[in-house]
Amino acid sequence: MKKDSKLYVVVFTFIVSFVFVFLLALANELTKERVKINEELFQRKAILSAMGIEYNSDEEAYKFFDEKIKVKKVKDIDVYISNVNGEDVYAVIFVGNGLWSTIRGVLAVNKEFTEIVGIDFITQSETPGLGGRIEEAWFKEQFRFEKIKDGKIEMIIGGTGKGDFDHENGKFEAITGATRTSESVANMINNYLSVLKDLLGGEL
Amino acid sequence: MSEYNKILKENVWYNNPVFVQILGICSALAVTNNLTNTFIMTIAVSLVTAFSSLTVSIIKGFIPRKVRMIVQTLIIAFYVIIVDIILRAYLPDISKSLGPYVGLIITNCIIMGRAEGFAQSNGPIISFWDGFTSGLGYLVVLMSVAFFRELLGFGTLFGIRVLPEEFMSWTIMLMAPSAFFMLAIFIWVAKGIMLRKEAK
Repeated sequence: MKKDSKLYVVVFTFIVSFVFVFLLALANELTKERVKINEELFQRKAILSAMGIEYNSDEEAYKFFDEKIKVKKVKDIDVYISNVNGEDVYAVIFVGNGLWSTIRGVLAVNKEFTEIVGIDFITQSETPGLGGRIEEAWFKEQFRFEKIKDGKIEMIIGGTGKGDFDHENGKFEAITGATRTSESVANMINNYLSVLKDLLGGEL
Repeated sequence: MSEYNKILKENVWYNNPVFVQILGICSALAVTNNLTNTFIMTIAVSLVTAFSSLTVSIIKGFIPRKVRMIVQTLIIAFYVIIVDIILRAYLPDISKSLGPYVGLIITNCIIMGRAEGFAQSNGPIISFWDGFTSGLGYLVVLMSVAFFRELLGFGTLFGIRVLPEEFMSWTIMLMAPSAFFMLAIFIWVAKGIMLRKEAK
């Protein structure tokens, strides 16, 4: 068959596409379980750290999650409940749009709904080194035991660049160069604070 | 052996894909504000370039000219997705911090450039070496740019603090435009050295 004939081109393209796509499907199938386990682990670790429960290893994260956290379905939303240092803590998984991608994370508050106990992120695909820095400890620590003022939290633009650690003011500092991502995080938290408030005031 | 040495020198210095051929600039702007991400990204690019050049070279005799570039793109995309799958399964933390950039390796012009310019007309082993060393040339430049950007932007290297806490970090270094300045300075210095050598 001539190499530039139509039939050869079609047959060749079909075979090459088939082989490579088959290999990709195979690689995906072989690693599917592992990826699922990783995602599950990320979610458990995020819930634990948002609630302020410390763990030292992946095994410990699995163990503590099973031992210390109860899941209750309220109005189709999974609410994670635990008692940390004598205080009841409630957490929900939040989902929303970042600058580039969907951000999934965990928001934990105390029973009286006076402060955010903590936040953590499960998945995000924001710009690495800019918006992706929402995963860094300093950014998340800004929310640790932060007072909730009027049912929400406020974002500071153009701060010191190192974070706002005054936990009484109900404010956090945006990431320099990633204001849009920080804004999305603020919106998501504020949305879910009102969701949690409804749940806490209702059936919980 | 001398041919392999020649290719190494060409790809890393005299004909470096970034500062001589001005290819792969997009990722030089994007990933270089953090050494860890840059390192993983450049290693991934080197491996993808090496393996796609190897594959293109092996099957070059069967590829019809009309669909040459589409087949090359398919091969490159295949390796990029393989890298993505491996990272997601075995290095999930790194996969998380690189975010969408792994997928964007497909658009790196260096890979297509080597497949089209070298692998299409050379043997498999030497094409693999050419691809890998082109990746090394890319790595050297991006790591140098990332070194200064992370140092001045965050005061850290590979996430470890090296400058004192009081150091006022240069926020501009974290933004993409600073990579333009850094890259321009890099090209200026490298070309200066090259021209000086030639003059001698």
